[in-house]
Amino acid sequence: MMTAFAIWFQNLPLFIFLRNSTLAFPVILTLHVLFISVFGAMIFATDLRLLGWGLRKYSMADVIDPLRLPKRVGFVLVVTCGILVLGTKAEEYFLNPFFQLKILLLMLVGVHALLFRGNVYNNAAALDATPEPPARAKLAGAFSLLLWLGIACAGRSIGYINGPVGSHHFAALFSPLTRL
Amino acid sequence: MLIENPLNSEYAFPILECFHIVGFAVAIGSIALVDFRLLGFGLRRQDPAELVKDTGMWVLISLSTAIFAGLMLYSTDPDKYYLNPIFVGKIVCMVLAIVLNYTVHRKAVLPGASRAWGKVVACLSLVLWASVIAAGMFISFVAV
Repeated sequence: MMTAFAIWFQNLPLFIFLRNSTLAFPVILTLHVLFISVFGAMIFATDLRLLGWGLRKYSMADVIDPLRLPKRVGFVLVVTCGILVLGTKAEEYFLNPFFQLKILLLMLVGVHALLFRGNVYNNAAALDATPEPPARAKLAGAFSLLLWLGIACAGRSIGYINGPVGSHHFAALFSPLTRL
Repeated sequence: MLIENPLNSEYAFPILECFHIVGFAVAIGSIALVDFRLLGFGLRRQDPAELVKDTGMWVLISLSTAIFAGLMLYSTDPDKYYLNPIFVGKIVCMVLAIVLNYTVHRKAVLPGASRAWGKVVACLSLVLWASVIAAGMFISFVAV
């Protein structure tokens, strides 16, 4: 079923267009990485503050609160570009073990949100109330840092595995994307 | 006698690339946090000059990691890189960006500096660093 979905997905007109354009793929991948850089640094700053390893002269609230909206915007931009990259060869990516690992880790990001959104991020001011920040703050920071590092490394590794699937499932003319 | 570069192994290159990517993401992203602050976005409760000091060590460590990993990546096949004009462009942009970051950028964040100038420098810094990343991505897409 996943394969059927992947084949349908990658043959949507948008993705056929992207696949056949020589410039689209590298441009989208570049935007993906650019947004990762800015998004990643916001995650890094928040996590280090939660762990107490950096930005300690500012309160938790002063670091976490103003970055919440920019982080969301960044996440949407990174994921949008990611989906566009995925669509160019969904079938291959779905079978790629590093892609699967990346999706698994992204699901764990969802678990992280369920665990810590309410008691850490939604109420950062409460973390500043006690002289020693509560353990859940450090736990949230550590969990997040490890997850995002894993996602970055898994993401980069996707490209090192040759897809077991040929181009036979592409509906339109397949142009080699790897070289301009 | 030619000695094979041990970094040309199946695993060394991808692992080095992970260090390279995480390194530049943290370095460039942290600089971007300051740039966005100068433009009035993001960490607005912090003073830009203080923010530069607070993120200075991250930038130094992560940028060094990215460059060191980058040099090792380069060593696996120098011809592939230095003959590629995109790579040369990347290095030019990177040197300019680093010089900007440790000279003009440092002064533009000071409380006495003009706001408008700060915004100009922030934009220049963002454009230069974005060019470094974009050129880096395009190296492998442009065969020479």
